[in-house]
Amino acid sequence: MGAQDSFHSIKIDEQRCIGCVTCMHACPVKAIRIRNGKASVFKHDLCIDCGECLRVCPVQAVQSMTSKVVELTQFKIKVALPSPVLYAQYSDATTPNDILLALHKLGFDHVYDMALSCEMVLIAMEEYLNRMTDVRPIISNYCPAVVRLILKNYPNLMDRVIPIEVPREVAAKQIRKSLAAEMNVDPTEIGIFHLTPCPAKLISIQKPIGVERSNLDDAIAIRDIYIPLLNALKEVGDEDLILQKSSGVGISWATSRSNVGGLPQHRSLTVRGLEEVIHILDQVEAGKLTDIDYLECAACPGGCVGGPLVVQNRHVATAHVDTLIEQYGVRTRLDRRKILRSYEENYLIPGLHRKTRAVSNEQVDLVKALEIMNQVEETIGRLPGMNCGACGAPDCRTLAEDIAAGDAVLTDCVFMKIKELEDEVEGHRRKS
Amino acid sequence: MPPGATSKGIVLAETADARFRKLFSIEGGNFQAAGSVSKQIKMILKQLSIDNDLIWRAMIVAYEAEMNAVLYASSCEVTLSVSTRCVSLQFKDRGPGIPDIGLAMTEGYSTATREMRERGFGAGLGLPNMKKTADRFHIESVVGEGTTLQMELDLP
Repeated sequence: MGAQDSFHSIKIDEQRCIGCVTCMHACPVKAIRIRNGKASVFKHDLCIDCGECLRVCPVQAVQSMTSKVVELTQFKIKVALPSPVLYAQYSDATTPNDILLALHKLGFDHVYDMALSCEMVLIAMEEYLNRMTDVRPIISNYCPAVVRLILKNYPNLMDRVIPIEVPREVAAKQIRKSLAAEMNVDPTEIGIFHLTPCPAKLISIQKPIGVERSNLDDAIAIRDIYIPLLNALKEVGDEDLILQKSSGVGISWATSRSNVGGLPQHRSLTVRGLEEVIHILDQVEAGKLTDIDYLECAACPGGCVGGPLVVQNRHVATAHVDTLIEQYGVRTRLDRRKILRSYEENYLIPGLHRKTRAVSNEQVDLVKALEIMNQVEETIGRLPGMNCGACGAPDCRTLAEDIAAGDAVLTDCVFMKIKELEDEVEGHRRKS
Repeated sequence: MPPGATSKGIVLAETADARFRKLFSIEGGNFQAAGSVSKQIKMILKQLSIDNDLIWRAMIVAYEAEMNAVLYASSCEVTLSVSTRCVSLQFKDRGPGIPDIGLAMTEGYSTATREMRERGFGAGLGLPNMKKTADRFHIESVVGEGTTLQMELDLP
């Protein structure tokens, strides 16, 4: 921990930032403040790495901490694990196989159809839902932003987050083991990279929850690989090598729809977009939606195809995914029994709930906290209630909280400052 | 007290024990705002670093009470009171009132209309659930005037 606490998957470039309050208002957890005309993630603990700030910044001052392709030279063997979202970034004429072949040409020694891992995980998920029947709804875990949202704002629901490894981790673990043996290298000499539609996947690799370390090494943004890949695609002809092993079942995960061809005996509900997810989690916390078996939550509108680091318009990408599902069918080619044989070893995350339950509030002086809360309410009464953001806090209530915490003063509010100056002028007038 | 009303010794009715108090209003029939009061209550309890389990139980009872107010009452005044010993919630509404409280507290009994059931309500578990979840639960009602719910959750 320590210095790592303030590491996030995004970074605000002070040179480019114009202090316009857009990112501050877009942040769903109010982690951003504007100080001295520049935005920063002031409340580190609140940030859930959803990337909304990156998405809305009008001057691209918010940057992703994912790596560029050229930075990957430290590993002897480089493996690409592309999100199925990548399959929908190009024209309809480009097949998933073309994309996997083109990635080879970019310098990746090994390329893996991660959509197949999605199909494996789906089988494991179904097994979990069959075994664990007394908690409903069970909540998805593959969106790192949603997991962090639950951990911080809905800690009581952490028990419901499905403790099954996510596809990228399942794939990375298997690949590292088999490649190390096959190529006779040390496992640490293999670099496994996720090609991601969002910065949140990076944080799940650098600062994972519930496990010691990720099986992946780093992530590359889809938008940073788009052009090199486009050029490499031109060199892909009619090759015999078939790298795609997935069906529409795995590819559908690009639009965050894991119930395509899976979970036939369970009722699932899919919610996309953070505001919507927050709304639905409020319901779950209040004891509702118990007739839903599996609740799939994705932070981005439209699912992963709507991530902040993609290139293709998400509606076009969704149509493309639908075409791929039709083309490659809704039946997995995997042998269910084979997957289930390694259920405990490869898919179940042991003790996840136990480990994450520890994130509770430290001992706090309640008497002091109640006093502060009264101060906050009193201050709110004095503030104009416009939530304009000019003070550097996203809304008046948050400014009142910041003032009580000693991070701001009343005259940070422009209207309070004006009043103070007016009173001063009036005071001078009276004297003369 | 009307027959059938339950009372297990309310600690904070309108006492000076409460170090923090806040009032909210619920508008009957306003589904758009439904849930916003329980959400605000959650924010406050979270800011106070109140035990997570208590916040969860407070949410269950507050949401249930808020939805009842939206579904049945014309308006409802909510008071959140916090002392060093417990969190107290009072929902005092203006509405039709409950003629037979004993019946209303029976699991499975529901007066939900067809429209309400279509929206997912009407399992008949709201009031019994609140009583089970809170540490202390008190209900009284006058037909033609309204219903008052008082619930308390003890801090660990």
